[in-house]
Amino acid sequence: MNKYWREGEPMVWATGAALALTLMIAATLIIVVMVNGLGVFWPADLTLVTLKNGNQVLGEVVQREATASGEGERLQFKIGNRDLYGLDFAWIDEADIEKTQKPKTAMVLERMEHGNFYGTLQNVSAPGLNGHSPQALKQLMAQAAEKTKSLEAFDEQIAELNRRTAKLEHQKQKLFHDSPEKNQDAIATLDRQIETIRGEFEQLMTRQDAASAELHQYTATFSDASGTDKMIAAAEIVRYYQPNDMNVFEKGFLYLARVVELFIGEPRESNTEGGLFPAIFGTVMLIFLMSMFSFPLGVIAAIYLREYAKDGTVVRLVRIAVNNLAGIPSIVYGIFGLGFFVYGIGSGLDQFLFPERLPNPTFGTGGILWASLTLALLTVPVVIVATEEALGAIPAGIREGSLALGSTKFQSLVRILLPMASPGIMTGLILAMARAAGEVAPLMITGVVKLAPALPLDGTFPFLHLDRKFMHLGFHIYDIAFQSPNVEAAKPMVYVTTLLLVLIVLLMSSVAIYLRNKMKKRYTYGTF
Amino acid sequence: MNEQPNTGATPAIDARKVNFYYGNSQALHNISLSFPHRQVTALIGPSGCGKSTFLRCLNRMNDLVDGARVEGQILLGDTDINSAAMDVIELRRRVGMVFQKSNPFPKSIYENVIYGLRIAGVKDPRVLDAAVETSLKGAALWDEVKDRLQQSALGMSGGQQQRLCIARAIAVNPEVILMDEPCSALDPKSTARVEELIGELRQNYTIIIVTHNMQQAARVSDHTAFLYEGLLVEHGLTKKIFMKPKNKQTEDYITGRFG
Amino acid sequence: MDKKVLRRIKGRDRLARYVITIGGMAIIASVILILLMIGNVTLPLFQQPTAESLATITLDASPGRTAPLAVDVDEYLETAVTFSADGVFAFYATNSGALIETIPVAPPESPTAIPTQVTVDAPMTFSILWSDGSLSEEQIRFVPQFDPQGQRTFLRQRLRKASFPPPREGMPLQSLARVASDRQVRVDLLADNRLKVSQVVIETDIFDNEERAEHTTFLTDANSAITALTLDSQGLALYAGTANGTLLHWNLAEAGTPKLMSKVSALNDNQRITALAMILGDISLVAGDEQGRLSSWFPVRLEKNATEKRLTRIHRLAKHDSAITAIIQSRRDKTLASLDAEGVIHLDHMTSERHLLSLDSPQPINQIALAPRGNGLIGLDAHGQLQLWSINNPHPEISLKSLFAKVWYESYDEPALVWQSSSGSDDFEPKFSLTPLIFGTLKGTFYAMLFAIPIALYGAIYISQFGSSRLRQWVKPAVEVMAAIPSVVIGFLAALWLAPKLEKAVPALFLSVIFIPVALVLAIFLWQWLRRYRPLKTVERGYEFIAIAPVLLLAIAAAIVLGPIAEHWFFAGDFKLWLFNEAGHRYDPRNSIVIAFALGFAVIPIIFTIAEDALSNVPASLKAASLALGASRWQTVWRVILPSASPGIFAGIMIGLGRAIGETMIVLMATGNTPIIDLSIFNGMRPLSSNIAVEIPEAPFGGTLYRVLFLSAVILFVLTFCLNTVAEVVRQRLRKKYGRF
Repeated sequence: MNKYWREGEPMVWATGAALALTLMIAATLIIVVMVNGLGVFWPADLTLVTLKNGNQVLGEVVQREATASGEGERLQFKIGNRDLYGLDFAWIDEADIEKTQKPKTAMVLERMEHGNFYGTLQNVSAPGLNGHSPQALKQLMAQAAEKTKSLEAFDEQIAELNRRTAKLEHQKQKLFHDSPEKNQDAIATLDRQIETIRGEFEQLMTRQDAASAELHQYTATFSDASGTDKMIAAAEIVRYYQPNDMNVFEKGFLYLARVVELFIGEPRESNTEGGLFPAIFGTVMLIFLMSMFSFPLGVIAAIYLREYAKDGTVVRLVRIAVNNLAGIPSIVYGIFGLGFFVYGIGSGLDQFLFPERLPNPTFGTGGILWASLTLALLTVPVVIVATEEALGAIPAGIREGSLALGSTKFQSLVRILLPMASPGIMTGLILAMARAAGEVAPLMITGVVKLAPALPLDGTFPFLHLDRKFMHLGFHIYDIAFQSPNVEAAKPMVYVTTLLLVLIVLLMSSVAIYLRNKMKKRYTYGTF
Repeated sequence: MNEQPNTGATPAIDARKVNFYYGNSQALHNISLSFPHRQVTALIGPSGCGKSTFLRCLNRMNDLVDGARVEGQILLGDTDINSAAMDVIELRRRVGMVFQKSNPFPKSIYENVIYGLRIAGVKDPRVLDAAVETSLKGAALWDEVKDRLQQSALGMSGGQQQRLCIARAIAVNPEVILMDEPCSALDPKSTARVEELIGELRQNYTIIIVTHNMQQAARVSDHTAFLYEGLLVEHGLTKKIFMKPKNKQTEDYITGRFG
Repeated sequence: MDKKVLRRIKGRDRLARYVITIGGMAIIASVILILLMIGNVTLPLFQQPTAESLATITLDASPGRTAPLAVDVDEYLETAVTFSADGVFAFYATNSGALIETIPVAPPESPTAIPTQVTVDAPMTFSILWSDGSLSEEQIRFVPQFDPQGQRTFLRQRLRKASFPPPREGMPLQSLARVASDRQVRVDLLADNRLKVSQVVIETDIFDNEERAEHTTFLTDANSAITALTLDSQGLALYAGTANGTLLHWNLAEAGTPKLMSKVSALNDNQRITALAMILGDISLVAGDEQGRLSSWFPVRLEKNATEKRLTRIHRLAKHDSAITAIIQSRRDKTLASLDAEGVIHLDHMTSERHLLSLDSPQPINQIALAPRGNGLIGLDAHGQLQLWSINNPHPEISLKSLFAKVWYESYDEPALVWQSSSGSDDFEPKFSLTPLIFGTLKGTFYAMLFAIPIALYGAIYISQFGSSRLRQWVKPAVEVMAAIPSVVIGFLAALWLAPKLEKAVPALFLSVIFIPVALVLAIFLWQWLRRYRPLKTVERGYEFIAIAPVLLLAIAAAIVLGPIAEHWFFAGDFKLWLFNEAGHRYDPRNSIVIAFALGFAVIPIIFTIAEDALSNVPASLKAASLALGASRWQTVWRVILPSASPGIFAGIMIGLGRAIGETMIVLMATGNTPIIDLSIFNGMRPLSSNIAVEIPEAPFGGTLYRVLFLSAVILFVLTFCLNTVAEVVRQRLRKKYGRF
């Protein structure tokens, strides 16, 4: 017994406890994200409670906890109907509840604005359509969807006109900047063209207004738990369902539909609802651009350091410096990106390429190009270190063997060394990409925005708009968790975004680490 | 300095007064040594005596070492290998090398053998196929691997890998093959195979072999040179050196009193 | 070998060597150099301001023209203005020196009166004391016009804003006036050392009927000759300095009843106060004396919670060699220009106490004015020539002292370390102390490391020395993957999941700090008994931590259950209230405990990985030797392995520290971001990193805030760079020692 303590066996257990604690914290993090993120899209049942004072409340039960006084429990309801009540959630003491029901007719409406509506269908009203059954609602939605389609066609036409106008305006700006007198005629011509387009535009607008007014005749009336009627236009309704009347498969189907919407849909309600498509797209494009810069630069620099530079004090110092750069805080890179890329190079480019748009900046403000360059700078050391290590791990004999056969250094590099180092280089690149995917601080000051009007890649010339601002999953989390007006209502979306980001990053780094460990094993052959 | 053994022919490589420096320290002192055509010369001596360094001078592998410097002449045919007239690539193709540790590339057996041809721009598959067969046969490996030419060279045994390296070296048809302790990492059976192979290769190639193993030197070589602390102590026909060395140090080394 | 092929491959090799060498060097150099450019942005902060003589203008010498009583210059430094004793404004183009225009001013009362004294109250606003004792406030306006060619020209207009009749008490020695829309104030220093305050309050009712109420009071508080006078810009406070060094301060806000606020002996050697002026913002007063000393003053509460305030000396500025004759405030910031009897001009910044510039002109200067944007200074020299300087003075408020040491800011009761970069008003005194931010960084890092180091190190020791190798294959990559979890995710969970939970369960946290070790000890005792059973003993071969996990969970669960009970007993049922009442600390839900967990969690994988590498690379022979000598496995680790691996462990800690210092998103999200200096764990902080993220969107390019934020980035850069370099050097040593790592 005494010996057991003297030999320090308890300390072994203490170290084990530390490891257990580490893994438990990590597991907690993952579990919290999973539980909160995976459950968001599952259609919860609607509960109708009748209180002792006769009031009725309809909503989803979110959580229950002990009341402040310590006696009994209270329930948090998501009551929705933000436009009617002004708040999304209500706490109800269990003691106040008279009766709890799950009415099959209770309906959830996901709307374009004001969040969910919880209530029951009263009646449906549209030209040539009247009724109060769910079938009628289905018909209404189908008809409204067709109308919406024609409206979208208008939208496209209008957007096209806008693009043309913007182009002409830009030409005019250019001419004006050049010399207003000399280009008088050309400017006048442009003005006339713009005027013509404006005419077309107005016509279109009138027609669209008419179509829109027609669409708004397709409405349905719902009543909430307290019996207040609310007329809602069909165009406002994204989706409707009666959760208490659905079986598991129907719910599962709805779940999948929502997941699909998450990936391809646009955000709604200041990003707290709807899809993440622009953010996913922005993240992917950012990583892609970043890799295009950091991968070749990092690899070339590493090849130079390892294969070409004379190994001396300078190279050693450079190597230490490069290793260190990987540990420099990302915000430092961010502020550098702002000062050097945005204000330095960007403003310079504007002077040179787009003087007619000044003082409105084109490149002299944050954008995806500058953000990706900043991230590239941040990840170049990671790629350099990984490539150098991979090259350094190749046994010297291989290099000598190749040279002894009369190959040049470059031939050895291309035919033997780089293929051998490629897993290591890939690992570095993937780690760099994972880091870029999760990095937010430098992006915040170099061009990420909460809502980008347009994607950095689209169908209008020149297709790739490197000057545009973009959205990013990581910033999305920060933004909706901290900047949205209604944090509580935004939470589900934050968790979903978090889950997605964590999955992406963990997947990427797992692959990288797997590759690296595999590579480590492979190289051991050199030492027999 | 030393009596030159009479070989009757012009040497394949003739080193004259070679001094070699790593930075400020001199590793080889005034070594003059010639290697006769199509014969095996063994370089022996204790660790750190400079035999590997000398060997690596012969195909300028020491160029890769920072701060290395050679003085004196090393003639391959009529050209000084360190002169501008000799291209290092050309030199290494003419003077092949096999290393202590076998170092096959992580490629297929086939690709390993033809690596030297590929980098020289040979593309004709018939030429390549023929070269693989001749080289592997030359390295006495053909029968063992002819059915798995496309498999990775890393899957071979240690002895096979070393013979593959020899095949790789002879595929470019060199005049001289340098061998830097080719058997030190091999088991006795593989060693015997490689020694046998050296015996066959001497028909066509001039071979210079560095070895630690006295018996091996005695078995495979025609000439032997004993180096000690960067100096060439004694040089002559292997029989002579092993039977009655002139120098006391040589005798002590050969009889195993030091080294 | 084919010569052509040889040439081709050699050519390619040369090209590749060329490209890679140039490219590689360029990439590395640029990566390092461009980071150095951050430093370059901050350099202007510390540059000494410069002045450049723009023009020397010879004054109009037409007959009847007399010497100027006042000079001024417009905001573009294009036009210089003089007002001469014959009552004429003269305008000179500064680029050519030519006289552009003259505008005569008629006396307000007696037509024969001539100007005797002129003060410049505001840019292009002159108050003129006439020889009959009347006072007029004249303003010059520049109205821009565009001629048909699109050239900009100015139409110069003179406007009389107000005039005051002569005092009945005779010609005053000195007069000051202020004119606002609802009040007009005139203060006269009478020959008998009394101050006459004449105030006109104009009340306008909703029908636009004006009602003027006049109040006249005499102030006789001065016990020695009044030698300097000044009014604030609104005419609400009057300051006087006397021949024996007394400063007096009256509040004129109540018309008709001026109130003496302070009367202090400013200079203990009874020197004469020769000049007074207000600093932009109307809070600080600057006094100059006949010795050439300059000091700033404002009312300060003498004791905590006292209502009474007294004029107190706040800053001492660089001394002149002779008596101060004039002090001019800058209209842009807290800079002031002062002129002495020898004609030397000083430019000083009050808050930073920086002496910015001394301007020496060949001829002594006896009149000065500062351009409205603070970018120019005009003076009239003894030869009657105007001297115009352009002044490059972009960041006068920054000095090492104002960045790091305590500074006594306006309206503060004592010197303090404050970060407050901006405010709504233009005359705000920006407070750029980096100390609270550095403190915040260190505080957050300290608590995080306190949490992370033991856990990470112990975990690394376990997995590298005691854990089974199969376990290791899984745990090590798992921890490495942990390192990749984006900090925004950790920050979000810390702020919106952990912080609210913790807020309710602080006592439970305290309990678990006690419960976990206790449970551990109990579990070990229990184990002594359990390990008799053979199958269980296999756990000791590297699976202990799995057996320990439920114990930890139990301890934490127990703490959570018992937490409210403990809160009831010890903290009267509400910990936060107790904390505030008993200890005087506020409980901030986003506090250091949350940071310790979140930041610690971000750092653990880094320290863990590097320490684990170091530990498992200690040669197995060392371990075997120790075990063979009969040492237990813990003794081996403690006495043999740990010392050998200590450089690697040290490196891991350094790199973890660097990460914690620079981490931005976690602290941005999980702290209150209040820049205060407070060690309490129940309070938040604002570190350098999140400060940059918070403030940079508001910082105008090239401004002081912008550069100060870059400076904080430089500090972060240097800090982390040093830490990483130390770690890297140590690691390389270790690598040499054990071959590989």
